[in-house]
Amino acid sequence: MIRLAGLTKKFGERFAVRSLDLDVPRGEVFGLLGPNGAGKTTTLSLMMGLLEPDAGVVDIAESGPPTDVGVRRKMGLAPQALALYQELTGRENLRFFGRIQGLSGTQLDERVDHGLEFVGLTPRANDLVAQYSGGMQRRLNLAAAILHEPQVLLLDEPTVGVDPQSRNHIFDNIEALKAQGRTIVYSTHYMEEAERLCDRVGILDQGELLALGGVNELIEAHGGLGVLTITTEAGEVRSIETENPVIALADWNRSELETVRSFEMERPGLERVFLNLTGRTLRDT
Amino acid sequence: MMSTVLAMAAKDLRLLVRDRGGLFFTLAFPFLVAIFFGSIFSGGSGEPRQLQILVVDEDGSEGSSLFVESLDRSEALSVELSSRVEAVEQVRRGKSVAYVALLPGFGASLSHPFAGSPPRAELGVDPARGAEAGILQGLLTQFAAERLQDAFGDPSGLQENARSGLQAIELSGATGPQAEGLKRLLTEVDRFATTQDTADGQEPRSGGQGGGFKLEPIRIEKASIIVAKNGPPNAYAISFPQGILWGILGCTAAFGLSLVSERTSGTLVRLQSAPIGRGQILLGKALACFFACSVVSVALVIFGTLAFGLAPSSWGKVAVAIACAAMAFSGIMMFLATLGKTERAVSGVAWASLLIMAMLGGGMIPLFVMPGWMQTLSNISPVKWSILAMEGALWRGFGWDEMLLPCVVLLLVGSVGLLLGTKLFRWPNA
Repeated sequence: MIRLAGLTKKFGERFAVRSLDLDVPRGEVFGLLGPNGAGKTTTLSLMMGLLEPDAGVVDIAESGPPTDVGVRRKMGLAPQALALYQELTGRENLRFFGRIQGLSGTQLDERVDHGLEFVGLTPRANDLVAQYSGGMQRRLNLAAAILHEPQVLLLDEPTVGVDPQSRNHIFDNIEALKAQGRTIVYSTHYMEEAERLCDRVGILDQGELLALGGVNELIEAHGGLGVLTITTEAGEVRSIETENPVIALADWNRSELETVRSFEMERPGLERVFLNLTGRTLRDT
Repeated sequence: MMSTVLAMAAKDLRLLVRDRGGLFFTLAFPFLVAIFFGSIFSGGSGEPRQLQILVVDEDGSEGSSLFVESLDRSEALSVELSSRVEAVEQVRRGKSVAYVALLPGFGASLSHPFAGSPPRAELGVDPARGAEAGILQGLLTQFAAERLQDAFGDPSGLQENARSGLQAIELSGATGPQAEGLKRLLTEVDRFATTQDTADGQEPRSGGQGGGFKLEPIRIEKASIIVAKNGPPNAYAISFPQGILWGILGCTAAFGLSLVSERTSGTLVRLQSAPIGRGQILLGKALACFFACSVVSVALVIFGTLAFGLAPSSWGKVAVAIACAAMAFSGIMMFLATLGKTERAVSGVAWASLLIMAMLGGGMIPLFVMPGWMQTLSNISPVKWSILAMEGALWRGFGWDEMLLPCVVLLLVGSVGLLLGTKLFRWPNA
């Protein structure tokens, strides 16, 4: 559905995206994972045709580049910066964005009502956006992107700065969109979101795609061993890297060297994958 | 295509209405300007400045030439000789303050103050300069009186004048107290001139109670074609075009800033990602600006008509003038919006530019108050052409041919602004 080949974008002498090759099949939720400045937003902008690549091609649905008006009609974008008019109501915002997507008449009315319902904002539809919470604005931002029922949906950090309730609502929305068969590219620097939502993940750092695959696949390949952390009665903390923390804990108890006050088992996750690939944690960067 | 442009325009107008600060500058402030300046000018004020007038010497005598020279020497006047047709046209178009036509026989009447009728002059004043008409009339009377004084200072001329005056009275057979009084005065003047008794401060006598006469140094006839119909009904006819311009400037700044706000708030990215071109986005903005400018202008004209006695000479021409001014400033808005990437930057550039245009173009102080060189400089300001078009439609009585120049200038400015704005516009990621 989305094909990137040799995609490169430079700002001055700095590579924002370097020789990126990627295929996202129809109906997949693909996660772009990386710290701030990794090149996620630039990659999405190139996919959307908002930026012109210095090299390489973007092809959407085998129909051509996203700068083509016909292709663009198949795409929706929820930008990272809230792209809403604060002095318009939620409904007025959606009506305007629907109209510029070519909707009109009853179709527009229905799609606006559906969008508001989908993101749970019907009761607040006639309030000014300026009166919405950050989470509600994020949800409206998402609704504005799906009004015209795009086949391809690009979501740039859609949960930044939102409350847990709105975040869960957005997760539910994305899962519903996935169930509808939409192709979604989801950028985030939250591993747990990628783990929950994405079929495949691409780990991006300094414009380069470091690893690509399913979440479990990546963990298996780059996550390393699990970690068992034991706190003894004497207050000492011991960490043991192991493939099987349960057996390691049993072994520890059998040795009866020190009594265990508490223990913690950590399964390797994408955070560890990133650490192992870059030598840094996502939050360090 | 068009529905997208209309959607853009409707959205921007809705945003304008919801922005109370912006609404004040686009709607309330122009009304305040119109009423405030109208009140000031209707009260009449200001020191006399050098008035630019045209003189039509229809007499062509030595006396009339001397009179023109004396006018020219005055620090209060700037004089240029002209034909009558040209002079009337120049004043009617507002290019000269006034014309003075010295009518046939002017010189002879001036040389013989005691005989015949007084020297006659026709005065046509720019309708917008009513306050200066009185000043000009006073100056003409003063110069004519000075010529009389010269006549009194020359004993032989004075004697000749007195005797010819006496002769004229005798020949006319005039009787009555005024004729008798004048006869006694002229006899005294004749005697005075003969004895060379020229004591300073001695005034001619009028010849007893109830027998006085009035010496009229000059008879000024006002040109009726200008004063009667084409004059502004009041000072508000001058201040309201200024108010309209302030409304248009407010709209220009507001919409210029709204384009930058789209950029800084991120909505421009969403617009960019939609299946529309930048031409539609920019055209939508320009259309909203044009519509807002027009609404504010029409509201001011209607308010001025109902509450302050404006009497537009042609509503059709008012509409054309408003449309051209709105078009010009929509184009300027498009250009100004590209001159910065933040609201602060564009606001600074936009208001600085617009205020200079207003200052030069008569948006703050009427053009006629400005010195000549500044009036010439004002031609570079679209504000001047907008005000001229509106005044032409409101009360100057411009024909369509006269509306053409300001309207074409405004349309050109608007087109250039739109082209430049479109060319210089950059998407957020570019």
